[in-house]
Amino acid sequence: MTWVRPLPTITPESAPFFDGLRERRFLVPRCTGCGDLNWSPYPACRSCLTREQEWTEVSGEGELHTFTVMHTGPRAFTADGPYVWGFARLRESPRSLLVMGNLVGVDHDAVAIGMPVRIGYFDVPDHDLTLYHFEAAEHAG
Amino acid sequence: MGFPSGEVAIVGVYTTEQALDHSRSGFDLELEALEGALADAGLGLADVDGIATTRPVSDVPGSYDPLYFWAEQLGRRPLGYLGSGLPAAALGKGALAVSAGLCSTFVLVHGKSGTKINPARTPLPTSAPRVGAWSETIFGASRAGWYAAWAQRYIHEFGVTSEQLAQVAVDARHHATLNPDSIMGHRGEITVEDVLGSRMIASPLHLLDCALDSDGGYAIVLTTAERARDLRRKPVHVLGAGESAHIDYYLNFPDPAFPPEGGAVRRAADTAFATAGVSRDAIDVAGLYDCFTITLVRDLEEMGFCKVGEGADFVAEGHTRLGGSLPTNTDGGCLSNSHNGHPGGMHVIEVTRQLRAEVTPQRQVPDARTGVALTQGMSVMGGAGVLVLGVDR
Repeated sequence: MTWVRPLPTITPESAPFFDGLRERRFLVPRCTGCGDLNWSPYPACRSCLTREQEWTEVSGEGELHTFTVMHTGPRAFTADGPYVWGFARLRESPRSLLVMGNLVGVDHDAVAIGMPVRIGYFDVPDHDLTLYHFEAAEHAG
Repeated sequence: MGFPSGEVAIVGVYTTEQALDHSRSGFDLELEALEGALADAGLGLADVDGIATTRPVSDVPGSYDPLYFWAEQLGRRPLGYLGSGLPAAALGKGALAVSAGLCSTFVLVHGKSGTKINPARTPLPTSAPRVGAWSETIFGASRAGWYAAWAQRYIHEFGVTSEQLAQVAVDARHHATLNPDSIMGHRGEITVEDVLGSRMIASPLHLLDCALDSDGGYAIVLTTAERARDLRRKPVHVLGAGESAHIDYYLNFPDPAFPPEGGAVRRAADTAFATAGVSRDAIDVAGLYDCFTITLVRDLEEMGFCKVGEGADFVAEGHTRLGGSLPTNTDGGCLSNSHNGHPGGMHVIEVTRQLRAEVTPQRQVPDARTGVALTQGMSVMGGAGVLVLGVDR
């Protein structure tokens, strides 16, 4: 089946992140000045405006912070039925690390705020690209 | 130094027909609204020397900017002030510009037709579009999805129910039934059960928890209070205003989601009430942005009419319904009147009409002297414009 969902435009600035996904690693910009993690990636640290940030691997584990089951949405998504969209809080908190994504492989009635999740990776068919989603996990969120 | 409270007035307002689908162009609606609002004021196109528009681009391919488009369209006129911001914020700054003499007649104009907010109304693409690396669209987000995620978290933190959220839609429809110009009023009242029984859009938000996805235009004219005295309508004075941006829309979810110190709406509201020298208790009528039921609940909290977590109780107590202590969205709001793409000005217009005492008698708030209008974006945390309005006693 042809992939018709939107795909990221990869630029020199964002390439390290997508290279990380290909290696099944979730990388977050960490400020070399104050050490803060900055998600979503931004040109300078939100805490101290230092421009130098290092792509740093994080656990990819956390809990579902909030979600919705989307019954109506872009047709490229609803063509496969309702889907879960939301935010995971990665365990590297308390620095705010709320990451947007789709939770897959979970019965929609069982999806709940606070459930343990982890970042999973999948290769996009017919594109030389790896993306991420959320999966249910067993760890304590 | 201070806000020029009462020195500038809304002197003309106009709403085109609002409809689920217009066959007319956005520009056609804009022009009708512009001419209509000026005629309401007793002014003409030749008076306009300041303008703001809700559009990111004009209809003309290659046009540099929609404000430059208007300068050219109005006869290559050297405009004195180019506005910006969410509708209520654009009006607040427009009032400052008029007061400072940058321009004498400022108009906010909106018209939208055709394009739809609901992504389900866009056909299935045949190939994968390329978007920005961090775009929400990679994950199939929608406006309903963002507010639904907010509602889900809100329910989780405060124990509010879907029934309580639904009451907002019930009240909006009630008001719409008293507004012959509203899109949904003629369909009659709805109940909480109707809302919960409507199809799920993005859990926990049902179809009737969501704004309309409609077309329409409007315009609002400001000029000096001194000049307003000689014009057609009772001047509705700009008493105070505020604007705020807090987060970059649709990239990130605020954390915490419901901080006691608030976000953009709190900041804009505090500024607007302070510059007006008006207390929240003095507000007779409100127009608060209600793109979803959860939005109004959060508006009430962030505006300071109740505490965080108590918005649904405030609605349940009937405060926001006609006859209550804070009649809100008496035209039916975005939920049952119209959400025409940038409906923030609609809230300003309804408050203006209430203060002029010119709405249908059944929905007229008796002796309304002071009102407030809020335009918000991104679940009250992202962006806001607030306008405090009043008429002479």
